[in-house]
Amino acid sequence: MSLLIGSMTIGFILSLLALGVFLSFRVFAFPDITAEGSITLGASVAATLLVVGFSPLTATMAGFVSGMVAGATTGILHTRFNINGLLAGILVMTSLYSINLHIMGKSNIPLLTQTTFANTAEKAGALVLGERDSLNVGGWEVSARDASIFFFVILVITMVSILLYLFFGTDIGTAMRATGDNSQMIRALGVSDGNMITFGLAISNGLIALAGALLAQYQGFADVQMGIGMVVWGLASVIIGEALVGTRQLGFAIIGAIMGSVLFRLLVAIALRWGLNPNDLKLITAAFVFLALILPNLLAKFRVTRVRSPARA
Amino acid sequence: MLETKRILKTFNAGTPNEVRSLQGVDLTIADGSFVIVIGTNGSGKSTLLNAIAGTFLVDSGSIHIEGQDVTRWPEHRRARFIGRVFQNPFSGTAPSLSIAENLALSARRGRPRGFGWALESNLMAKMRDTVRTLKMGLEARLDNAIGSLSGGQRQALTLLMATWLKPKLLLLDEHTAALDPKSADQVIKLSDDIISREKLTTLMVTHSMQQAANLGDRLIMMHRGSIVHDLRGAEKRRLPAEDLLARFEDLRRADQLDETASELLQRAYV
Repeated sequence: MSLLIGSMTIGFILSLLALGVFLSFRVFAFPDITAEGSITLGASVAATLLVVGFSPLTATMAGFVSGMVAGATTGILHTRFNINGLLAGILVMTSLYSINLHIMGKSNIPLLTQTTFANTAEKAGALVLGERDSLNVGGWEVSARDASIFFFVILVITMVSILLYLFFGTDIGTAMRATGDNSQMIRALGVSDGNMITFGLAISNGLIALAGALLAQYQGFADVQMGIGMVVWGLASVIIGEALVGTRQLGFAIIGAIMGSVLFRLLVAIALRWGLNPNDLKLITAAFVFLALILPNLLAKFRVTRVRSPARA
Repeated sequence: MLETKRILKTFNAGTPNEVRSLQGVDLTIADGSFVIVIGTNGSGKSTLLNAIAGTFLVDSGSIHIEGQDVTRWPEHRRARFIGRVFQNPFSGTAPSLSIAENLALSARRGRPRGFGWALESNLMAKMRDTVRTLKMGLEARLDNAIGSLSGGQRQALTLLMATWLKPKLLLLDEHTAALDPKSADQVIKLSDDIISREKLTTLMVTHSMQQAANLGDRLIMMHRGSIVHDLRGAEKRRLPAEDLLARFEDLRRADQLDETASELLQRAYV
């Protein structure tokens, strides 16, 4: 049970990554690789500030803002200097590796003694639950600490996704979605598509860095390697979400990305439990995304041949 | 209102594919004037509209709108003066956004956009009333994605969007060329209605001699990047379609009109 709730907590934290990837890949159709660096950036900024003695809230918000700066940098490289989007992301991601090492001063910061959001959630949980060590959820024993953190994370994700949904309904948010849809049209209506892409990538990477900041506090360390493979991970979550709830409406797409992230994390936890070699995890994730990308075309071909073949016979 | 002075534009300069699209176009358009632009393929009609809209910057010359020098302004900044409808009905709208969201975007053309709610209720009510005047039944489908509509419907909505805030200059770039004849007639009638009701200063490119003869109060004919005829007022009104065709024929004899254009003329008149 502890494994299950732990996986779901990480799944919810990483749904911020999925939302960020959704924004860059789906809203803008911009293959933004900056994510691999910005999730680590969020983690290292938050961890370093916590070690210095800042509050979890300040440290987490600073992580968010640092991600926004990273995303805006990629946007400026792409829109002002006309660098290919993929390459702009690679440049920022690569430089972030050094920057993250500088911020942390070493490759790994443990957060065992610092007060993190997890401790805050635990304290808040104790106020609600009293001094119990565990509580019974549908016949399962869940530790009070795990449950408090779990609900705290859900609360944060709910707030962030509602804010994101509301933002997409504002004048500027609508213009942002239209930029990804038809940049010629939005320029003709007086919006600088370059500024919109830069702003959108800032929000996207801010969310991804926020995921990194929360993840570091939850697992108790920040590591310079933690971003590797995260773009594919986020993409896998988005694709699962689209398969679950469809893409027709924006609200569904947001909920889908969150559900996809949690489900994907659970699948991974179960696979690892069954003896999957952790070294193979990223290979399997990439293979999964590959399959999900080619499957619609394969299915369409398969249908065409099936319709045709009886006619030939 | 609009004044272009000796604007020059050459694409792929210095390569074998060099195209001198605009070769010193001087054009002054008075407030409230409805100007039709015709010309052969590759004569620079669309390039002229794009130069005015700021799709690219001209190599030399100047463009003034409302007395302001906009020659070096980027496209999105000029949008505060200009409403546009493109030839491709898919170019003027964002397909995955709803009809209402597309219209809301145009209701802030050239104005600052903040964190205000895009679909606020006053605007929605105005949208329903305005869209109802199209008589396409779209007022009940404001929440539908605009990508699900036909080309004619999308072009009619693009026209509403381009004129939602009264533009100083309306640019129509063969906006009915990609539509079926019935939709084309509808959109042309709608354009004429809006232009005469709002007294919009308009520059309209067309391939249709019919439209060229029937619409507008001034007609310019372009050839090889320059204006070769400029007919106004009474002269334009008296001009029958046959005369227009004869002038095209002159051009063709003068320099072997390319075949697609003569085909187009054949289709329109034979």
